[in-house]
Amino acid sequence: MVGFAEEGELNRLESQVDNGGGGAWEYLSLVRKLKVRRSEKVLKHGLSILNDPKSRSKLGPDEWTLYEQVAIAAMDCHKLDIAKDCVQTLSKRFPGSTRIGKLEGMWLEAKGSWAEAEKAYSRLLEDNPLDPIIHKRRVAVAKAQGNVSGAIELLNKYLEVFMADHDAWRELAEIYVSLQMYKQSAFCYEELILGQPSVPLYHIAYAEVLYTLGGLENLNTAKKYYASTIELSGGKNTRALFGICLCSTAISQLTKGRNREERESTDLQSLAATALLKEYKQKAPAKLPSLSSVLKSIKLPF
Amino acid sequence: MAEDLVLDSAIRDWVLIPLSLVMVLIGILRHFVTKLMRSSQPPDIKILKENQVVMRARNLRTCANLIPAKSFRSRRVYFSNEENGLLYVPKGQAQNPQAQMLTDPNMATDMMKKNLSMIIPQTLTFAWVNFFFSGFVAAKIPFPLTQRFRSMLQNGIDLSTVDVSYVSSRSWYFLNLFGLRGLFSLILGEENALDDTQRMMQMGGFGFDPTKSNVTDIMACPIPSEEKLIT
Repeated sequence: MVGFAEEGELNRLESQVDNGGGGAWEYLSLVRKLKVRRSEKVLKHGLSILNDPKSRSKLGPDEWTLYEQVAIAAMDCHKLDIAKDCVQTLSKRFPGSTRIGKLEGMWLEAKGSWAEAEKAYSRLLEDNPLDPIIHKRRVAVAKAQGNVSGAIELLNKYLEVFMADHDAWRELAEIYVSLQMYKQSAFCYEELILGQPSVPLYHIAYAEVLYTLGGLENLNTAKKYYASTIELSGGKNTRALFGICLCSTAISQLTKGRNREERESTDLQSLAATALLKEYKQKAPAKLPSLSSVLKSIKLPF
Repeated sequence: MAEDLVLDSAIRDWVLIPLSLVMVLIGILRHFVTKLMRSSQPPDIKILKENQVVMRARNLRTCANLIPAKSFRSRRVYFSNEENGLLYVPKGQAQNPQAQMLTDPNMATDMMKKNLSMIIPQTLTFAWVNFFFSGFVAAKIPFPLTQRFRSMLQNGIDLSTVDVSYVSSRSWYFLNLFGLRGLFSLILGEENALDDTQRMMQMGGFGFDPTKSNVTDIMACPIPSEEKLIT
């Protein structure tokens, strides 16, 4: 994740490079280090370095890293011919390398020749069957083809071995949500919360899956996770505030006859509602009437 | 007894400085040789999987009260049930890592390679120092020391009358051998192959079986009550 200070530095460098102030290589290195996706800029500035033999030779061995970075950026921008040039230069320099093999596979992917890409990846997997990136690329190929069940199968197989890989769990969770397989998705989100307990995004995603599943127990749990999201994000998550209101309404509808726990839930609910109202008053006063009508429609006191 | 020995400046020029220089150069050479000989063995699927399982189990243990009790219980069963739990090791079947090491020839050759790259240059330099520079005083340290240090600083000269602050050439070799680590980490970076302390640490960790401790931990972990869940 990109920290606040790092992002400031990145933006400063970017504007400096954009205005012709130099420092392109530093900018590209920072992009690489922070793993941010600014492909257009990377392509523009990377190419300007690569096309200038003098500044290119100044890089020394880092030249090849830059080729790789530009190749990926070019694929992202669908500049396939540039990507091809870069990949070819690299494969001429490093024949038989796995890393370049991956790039070739990605180029085939970008071109849309799925079968060939798949073939390239399986050939790479024969040599080193435990390369996580190749496995992930195969999942991406399956997903890009619309073969969602295939992607799930591949991801499950991958997670059997690499079961501490958060990104894979997250991908799987999102795929399950897209297929409305909420129970499976909830499991994945639990796994994510276990792995990185302080990321509010996982808490809110889990809460939403639980809310969608419905049922009294799930709704109660969902409310707790909305609450923990608010706590983790320092009270800033509007979505979670709405979530609490909706959960409370749904719970009170389910427990209409029974008069238990009602007290506590209305407390939280009205708190969330006041927080929402306050936030809207501060940031979007024009939308305030519509918010109050929404809150009224779900029978909230405010 | 107390009279000062005058050390020939030729000793400084031809013994002290060359000896230190040679030690540094040999250290650097050894670093690169180990780097060359280090085989990048492909990760074993079993070990890799085991590590991942342990990592996930540890996450479960530390964050147990962050997920609903039901989910926690199902995971605990998944990890530690007695039929096919991932972390369950039947009693007596647990392989001793030391025995495992003996059966795995790859590990043994790896160790041997490492040791060879340590031992060969060391014996050679020791023989070289012994042959050319044995038996005379090479340096003087600027502060007095007690008699205890005699065996450390005056290895190779058997004179009890010489002041302890004089260093014999062979002792200078030993001092260099053990004392240059800081210099190497400056020259070669923190992650150099010569760091003996790290290897010692690894050796110390041998008797420890992470799977076992995790099973017991998970079994002992209390089922989180609903109140513990962040509300």
